[in-house]
Amino acid sequence: MVRQGKRMRGGDSPEILVEMRGITKRFPNVLANDHVDFTLMRGEVHALLGENGAGKTTLMNILYGLYRLDEGEIWIKGRRVNIRSPRDAIKNGIGMVHQQFRLIPTHTVAENVILGLKEAGFYLNYRDINEKLSEIISFYGWNISPSARVWQLSVGEKQQVELLKALYRKADILILDEPTSVLTSQETTQLFATLRKMAGEGLGIILISHKLDEVMQVSDRVTVMRRGRVVATKPTRETNPNELANLMVGRPLITSFERLNKTSEKPILRVENLRVLDDKGLPAVRGVSFTVKGGEILGIAGVAGNGQQELAETIAGIRKAVAGKIILDGVDVTNKGSLFMIRQGVAYIPAESSKCVAYQMSVAENLVMKSFRYEPFSKSIVMDWDSIKQHAERLIDAFSIVTPSPSTRAGNLSGGNIQRLILARELTGLPGSSAPKLIIATYPTRDLDVAATEFVRRTLIQNRDQGAAILLVSEDLEEIMMLSDRIAVMYRGEIVGILEQQEFDVEVIGMMMTGARRGEAA
Amino acid sequence: MRSAIPLIRVQRRLEVPRRVSAAVSAFFILLSFAAAALIFELMGVSSVATFGVIASVFTNPNLLLQAILRGLPIGLAALGLSIAFRMNFWNIGAEGQLYMGMFAATGVVLLHEYQGLIAEPLVIVFMVLASFVAGGLYCALSAALKAKMGVNEVLTTLMLNYIAILFVDFLVYGPWRDPKGFNFPLSIQFPDYARLGFVLGSPSYEGLAMLLVVAFLVYGLMRHTTLGFEMRVVGESPEVAKHAGISYAKALIIGGFISGGLAGIAGFSVVSGIIGRLRPRASPGYGYTAIIVAFLALLNPWLIIPASIFFGGLIVAGDLIQASLKLPFAAVQIFQSIIFLFIIAGEFMKRYRIIVSWR
Repeated sequence: MVRQGKRMRGGDSPEILVEMRGITKRFPNVLANDHVDFTLMRGEVHALLGENGAGKTTLMNILYGLYRLDEGEIWIKGRRVNIRSPRDAIKNGIGMVHQQFRLIPTHTVAENVILGLKEAGFYLNYRDINEKLSEIISFYGWNISPSARVWQLSVGEKQQVELLKALYRKADILILDEPTSVLTSQETTQLFATLRKMAGEGLGIILISHKLDEVMQVSDRVTVMRRGRVVATKPTRETNPNELANLMVGRPLITSFERLNKTSEKPILRVENLRVLDDKGLPAVRGVSFTVKGGEILGIAGVAGNGQQELAETIAGIRKAVAGKIILDGVDVTNKGSLFMIRQGVAYIPAESSKCVAYQMSVAENLVMKSFRYEPFSKSIVMDWDSIKQHAERLIDAFSIVTPSPSTRAGNLSGGNIQRLILARELTGLPGSSAPKLIIATYPTRDLDVAATEFVRRTLIQNRDQGAAILLVSEDLEEIMMLSDRIAVMYRGEIVGILEQQEFDVEVIGMMMTGARRGEAA
Repeated sequence: MRSAIPLIRVQRRLEVPRRVSAAVSAFFILLSFAAAALIFELMGVSSVATFGVIASVFTNPNLLLQAILRGLPIGLAALGLSIAFRMNFWNIGAEGQLYMGMFAATGVVLLHEYQGLIAEPLVIVFMVLASFVAGGLYCALSAALKAKMGVNEVLTTLMLNYIAILFVDFLVYGPWRDPKGFNFPLSIQFPDYARLGFVLGSPSYEGLAMLLVVAFLVYGLMRHTTLGFEMRVVGESPEVAKHAGISYAKALIIGGFISGGLAGIAGFSVVSGIIGRLRPRASPGYGYTAIIVAFLALLNPWLIIPASIFFGGLIVAGDLIQASLKLPFAAVQIFQSIIFLFIIAGEFMKRYRIIVSWR
């Protein structure tokens, strides 16, 4: 018998913490988990890898009691259990850190930790609680105080509070759902160190992820899921990113792109000495000038928050410039507003889908959100729902958007499919015109799985080959070097240099991203 | 072991199907009747007799026509509110917009009486138009403040209610007082051509027709026009609207204008259909009841019609209870408040499930 709260260390043969057998879960129209087997050992970091919609999160939500399983058995520490709610899961020593944190910002760290904890009793002994928390915090080398208010913490620290919640409840099975999607690279490194330390303490850790490099970096074993099924479980040492990608997607991926047509010599976009303020009224873009030709991708590299967002919004007509000029196809379009830019054939893919997708409205409605003013989608002021539906069906097909129907609410789609929806809308020209003239894509593959990322990149390249000018804002150096014809590096609202393709070099760009001028960096 | 104390948990419902929503509403309305019955019994009145009176409102054709008439301003205002609420514009000012509508409608009558500018059959048309514009502008003011300066519309629309109500007070106590009215604060009695029912003979018939036409127009506007599409996008998020090239300010102000305009027409229906003149406090809160009706009907224009007639019927029933059972007016107000309270409790139950388990 295993007693709760007591941890085995070293020595003994590895104990099975969790065994899930033949788990099946059906949702309307979807078989989310199809006879899935999964085991977690004590002291391991077990990565659960798969694309969006592969069924990873469903499986873990079943383990955490958020969903009920339709078929199958769950055994925890050698005992068959029936987990009907998160409370049952917590009793069995399971803790889960969700993608969206479940913290109350105005409460302190300690208050958040004991929230909902019956064992805390009616009278709260904060001194004891804080002492215990401080012990855990210092053990893991964190930097948070139990009496700090959660709103004062950074994202990485908030995640630590979530971990703290699980540790305080003496969880020895820890589920993390895509924990790095919100973290900076530094915070990610720190998280991984913590996870290794926890595994060393005898916890079993399940890491849900679709990022290959992370899985390779931190896990002991990896289970790959595709379309609701487990396709492989392997020790991480015995596999490699290529194999994992193939398992995950079910086919080899394209990693480099051929150029079909030549860049035209005609500049489509010319930006002259542009100055823009951010939401707080402080200078965000400070005198930026560049040109983008037809059939060319200009990459804008830089650490997020150096004015790229504001630059993109201003060119899309959403934000006002305070000085400078934006010239599109020889016409001055500075501060003409977003409708004017849409009519000029400017497509804009914002960094956050919440800025361009109406989640409560249907997929079909979202797909005509920019073109509903034109025939055949509306005649004078009357909407034509039949042609809107046909249009939606065409785009759902062409961009492989997975949705039950065109009238499904957009908010019900997975992240990857929402991105496909955005691409479908932005990259399909308005009725009567062909493709967009200028595409502004900011972080277009952020948080996407491998297949969706490949799809987005391929689509951008296709549009470039058809003669579109593309402004690609990204933090991902690998991506920006793979796709761009030229790269401009932005730092504190200025362009510190523009590199030609033959000059691309990770080190140089990295240096320039921290403010080194071109000459100094090289 | 079974203990004596049940464990009660509150769980959020993930999705609320329409059927559940309707069933919960119906159940809570019945529950409110039970609670009201208890109170009637405590006051020493037979609850059976009381409910007999209430039921008679919906079974007796004459009383039902009354219910439709009292439901008319509620329904018109609620139809307007359904537009505003779809835009995430929390218009709490239907009451004030309704008073502006009454003011404008009465103004047209007085203008015609004293100046005689238009042909008599046209007066009622101008009354409708004027009340629409007056209510619409009154609401568009709040919409413009929100769109241009970010002023919270709940505050402005609510506070403008008091201004409108006091403005009408000023008119009937002052310049618009009937010179032959023995100094009572009343306007002149409207002549027949300014009364609803002028064409079909009964204000209820014309009122019902009006409700149906307006519901049809609101439905068409929101579902089948580009403007309605724009307004729904605006309700979703101003940022998404901007991305799609939709002018947030334009959609909000036009939508606000139509929303307030319909409340204005509701005001017209009060002075022209129900009272036949302007007097202080001419609306017993139709504009506020409309908020509840709009939500109860899930902002669906077609459901607003039965919901508003139901609430109109409750007002009629209140009058009857007062007269026939000699209950004080406060008892009627208690009855209506109980129904409101239970409906609000029902809204909670639509989103959450309460689980009682013995263990």
